[in-house]
Amino acid sequence: MLKLGIPSFFLFILILQIKGDDFKEEIFIKPLPPSHLYVNFHFITLVNGEESFEHSHLAPRSLGEIMSRYQVEELHLTLTEGQWKHKQWGYPVLDAAPGAELYAWFSPEVIDVDAHWKKLSSTLSGLFCASLNFIENFNTITPKMSLWPTGAQKLKQNYTSQLRYASLPREIVCTENLTPWKKLLPCESSHGFSSLLNSRMIHNTNYHSIGVHVRRTCVDNNCLDTNLEIKQTVALVYDFKIINSMDWSFRKLFGQGLPGACPLSSSSKIYIDTTSNSTYRFKLSPEPNNIVLSQRGGSETELAVYNITNSVMMNIVAKYETKDKIFVNIPPPLTFTQYVLGYGKEFGGIVTELTNNYWAPIDVVLLENAPWWLPIQLSSLRINGEAESKLIMSQYYSPGKSRQKPYHLELLLRLPPKSTTTLTIDFEFVFLKWQEYPPDANHGFYIGSALISANLPTAKNYTSLPIHGNTFDSVINASKPWYPMIFRTNGAMVSLPTPDFSMPYNVICLACTVVALAFGPLNNICTKELVLKAAGTPLSLRQKIFNIFKKKKD
Amino acid sequence: MSKHDTKSETEEANRMWASASFVGVLIIIGLPLWWKTTEVYRVALPYDKINAFETDSHYISTELTVLANDDETAQEVARQIEKAFQESDVIKLKITKKIIPNKLQHLLDSVADEQEALEDVGAAFNIKKHNTFYVVQRKPLYQDVWVGTERVAFFRDIKACSTIVKVLEKWIYQPSVLIGARSEIADAARQVRFPSGPGYHVVLSVVHPRPQELKVNFNARDAIEDYIGSFVDELTELHNFTLKSQWLHLLDFDFEATEVPGGRVAGAERLPLLLTRLEERAATHVSERPTLNLALYVVPCRLAPLALQRYDKEIPPPVQAFMSPKWGGVVFGNPTPEECEKQVYTPPVNLIMGTFLSQLRKLLGITDKEAQAGARLEALRRAAPRAWERDALLRLRALQQLASAETSLRSLAKLLGEISNIVINDEVGASINLAVESIHRATEHMEKADLLEAHRYSQRAFLAAETAFMEPSLLALLYFPDDQKYAIYIPLFLPIMFPVVLSLKNLLLWFRGKPVHKEKTD
Repeated sequence: MLKLGIPSFFLFILILQIKGDDFKEEIFIKPLPPSHLYVNFHFITLVNGEESFEHSHLAPRSLGEIMSRYQVEELHLTLTEGQWKHKQWGYPVLDAAPGAELYAWFSPEVIDVDAHWKKLSSTLSGLFCASLNFIENFNTITPKMSLWPTGAQKLKQNYTSQLRYASLPREIVCTENLTPWKKLLPCESSHGFSSLLNSRMIHNTNYHSIGVHVRRTCVDNNCLDTNLEIKQTVALVYDFKIINSMDWSFRKLFGQGLPGACPLSSSSKIYIDTTSNSTYRFKLSPEPNNIVLSQRGGSETELAVYNITNSVMMNIVAKYETKDKIFVNIPPPLTFTQYVLGYGKEFGGIVTELTNNYWAPIDVVLLENAPWWLPIQLSSLRINGEAESKLIMSQYYSPGKSRQKPYHLELLLRLPPKSTTTLTIDFEFVFLKWQEYPPDANHGFYIGSALISANLPTAKNYTSLPIHGNTFDSVINASKPWYPMIFRTNGAMVSLPTPDFSMPYNVICLACTVVALAFGPLNNICTKELVLKAAGTPLSLRQKIFNIFKKKKD
Repeated sequence: MSKHDTKSETEEANRMWASASFVGVLIIIGLPLWWKTTEVYRVALPYDKINAFETDSHYISTELTVLANDDETAQEVARQIEKAFQESDVIKLKITKKIIPNKLQHLLDSVADEQEALEDVGAAFNIKKHNTFYVVQRKPLYQDVWVGTERVAFFRDIKACSTIVKVLEKWIYQPSVLIGARSEIADAARQVRFPSGPGYHVVLSVVHPRPQELKVNFNARDAIEDYIGSFVDELTELHNFTLKSQWLHLLDFDFEATEVPGGRVAGAERLPLLLTRLEERAATHVSERPTLNLALYVVPCRLAPLALQRYDKEIPPPVQAFMSPKWGGVVFGNPTPEECEKQVYTPPVNLIMGTFLSQLRKLLGITDKEAQAGARLEALRRAAPRAWERDALLRLRALQQLASAETSLRSLAKLLGEISNIVINDEVGASINLAVESIHRATEHMEKADLLEAHRYSQRAFLAAETAFMEPSLLALLYFPDDQKYAIYIPLFLPIMFPVVLSLKNLLLWFRGKPVHKEKTD
């Protein structure tokens, strides 16, 4: 235990010594054999003191301004394209829901949290050029069990009432979000690791996710003072089929070499997970500065560390020795999948399958968040086909309200070892008003991912930072009784009954015509008299003109 | 025959009543119903009051006290001032003449220092009151007229009359600037100063293009709080200020500088582009209030010293700076060769912040005072603006806000007349009414020389008028196309209304007891 305490102790000393802002940049690269490569960028800015929002040094003033104006304690925003495949790739450092996801804790002084939440999402929408302004009350929930603040918080405080969570699964993430994101970095994209984030290359991946995470961290063990930590992340999963070879290099991945460290960063490090080297041998060049062996929760990880200090162009290359090898994928302890059941346009159901591959039970909190137009009924909840299941340890259900509130179900489940638990819940389709349909309504409607927060008993496939850690070196030998993680399942899509949108206009025109046709004769019969006309009466001028036309017709 | 007649007459009556009921349902009930249900919602607005606004007739009253040693001087000075300001319709002086009490006169003639004399006047009269000014005679003066930081001007004797009038016109009251604030066309001073508002952010950005080569010793927080803070604290009755600072690193900019003896000169046409680059990074768009930008650009060593123009014969100024109207100012920090060698640059805080302050004064509306022959303007010793400059600013802002509020309301009223689709909901109506009321209150206070209240009401009027004018709900129905309306109305109304309207003629004839059909008379 003593051995474990020392690195974190050093870390605190390090933080103590720093005065003013501190900026660090890191890249974590992990090959996901046989066909993928995970690259994770971390940019960490630590801001000293409580009131530095008005006067910023390395931290972005725009973000600080937003945080202080809306009294946000902790903020997590991710913009993601693609789907992380947990079964195949293991666990990412930070999981993110497809599309846009935003959640924030507001300070306890905030009374009207909803108003602040709306303003916060609208402002962030402007800052990141994302459609976060579509976050309204009807797609916002307040999770009760699944989300907990990761930063330093005052004790005995009601966190959940100050929390808001929303996800927009339809959001498409592209260059216009990356450019403002890069502007928040002190080195922008001109120097350092961020110069690798070339939008042409990083959007050519299977999965990419950019994120901003702001929280308060303790300055020391006593936690009398807090730092503000602004962490900006980029997660990329490259497909070897897209880069056309198994051998990867910075030039292949990012289109250019690394031009050196950011001159403002106090540490610029690249970590490459070489654990898979034992099965899939590859050689790194240039040689890493050192190799660290980390033992964490019963699994061993080998990390090659590059310490970048100079500003010389460099290119890290990995060359595989054996190319064709059959890979046996050992799935991580907890895997899950979500899909939609049903046919027709009346009823359907959401199925969530949770598989525990571990030899001990795992406790998870599952959060299902269904929009108001997809009413889910608690009475139809079945776990492994049973209505009353012993697996549910606690449950929270908040029914939605039409156009006001989404449906929100949270379950604390104990997943039995080596088993798959299947949850089904039925929904019925709802007719929307014609203005509520999005453009291209026949494309279908997205259902947001379910949130699964778990305390994993093993660190197998686990790459996340420990909760007190700022930088990546905190994962080294960071054994803990459990490893908390919040997963997002894949999203799903349903097709709601979609009308023909020109119909109302057609109906109005038709109805008008019918009314007009009916009215004419009725009016004539009621108000006109039919008079017989004797033959040979002199013709009036009008009748003469009519007769000319009649003759022509004949 | 008569039976046949009566039968046809009752049939005729039936037909006519049927026709009348169609008319009754469609025209008497239907049309008003249609009108009422398709009407654009508008709160009743005080159009007559808005149209009665006369922006050019607003004026501000102000109090001026002439204190002289003898009655004759006081009379003459007051007469001259009165004559000079008689023409002005924007400022009305209320001049009071007094003889200086003997004790004070003795003090004024004996103390050597003007500052001390000022304190003596302050002890005898209330010079802290807004919108007042004292013209005081003081014999042992080296110049004709002396003006300090307080609301007092000293003059030597009766010969200084014309100088006093000039000083009052050009420095203290500045009627030309006030007219510029009131009129629709912006004058030179208005083109520079920021538009009125309840508050501003002042952001000091330290731009450091090459952090790897040079360390900059500059505490931005202390600098802005010490210098700018003590300046804006004096202006709290005008606006709220928030002070902010930030560092922008690695913002490289190509000045296309040309080599001259002793340094480099930046291309003048490149400077606007520098502002664009700053704007990109300065994150001014996240704050809801307008931002006054102050940027300290630390010139990279390979360019230093960088100047903005050539100085062939004259001595270059100690600070290179430029200002962009309604945006802010940029000051260049040029490290010396020794500092470049040591790789540590300590900017001269006093000089730089002083430059920012002088830029800030102009941006907030304090004009430069050009020298007048025979008059001496005491140089500023502190960051704070002079007391009479604050009064001038209050007058200026009050007039400008009033004029701007009236223009907004007038334009809105005109737009409402021109575009029938604009909705005026209750909130917009309330803010329009508030603006109109505040304009009247502000005008009253202005005429009573109650400057602080006048400014408060004019600001309220300005804000209410802006809110009403900018309210997005006005546009709710603006883009509702007329052709879609007609596409529905025409099939419905044309076949139905046509026979009904035509039957009106027969109906009228019948009601008057005249025969309906001509054929029948045969």
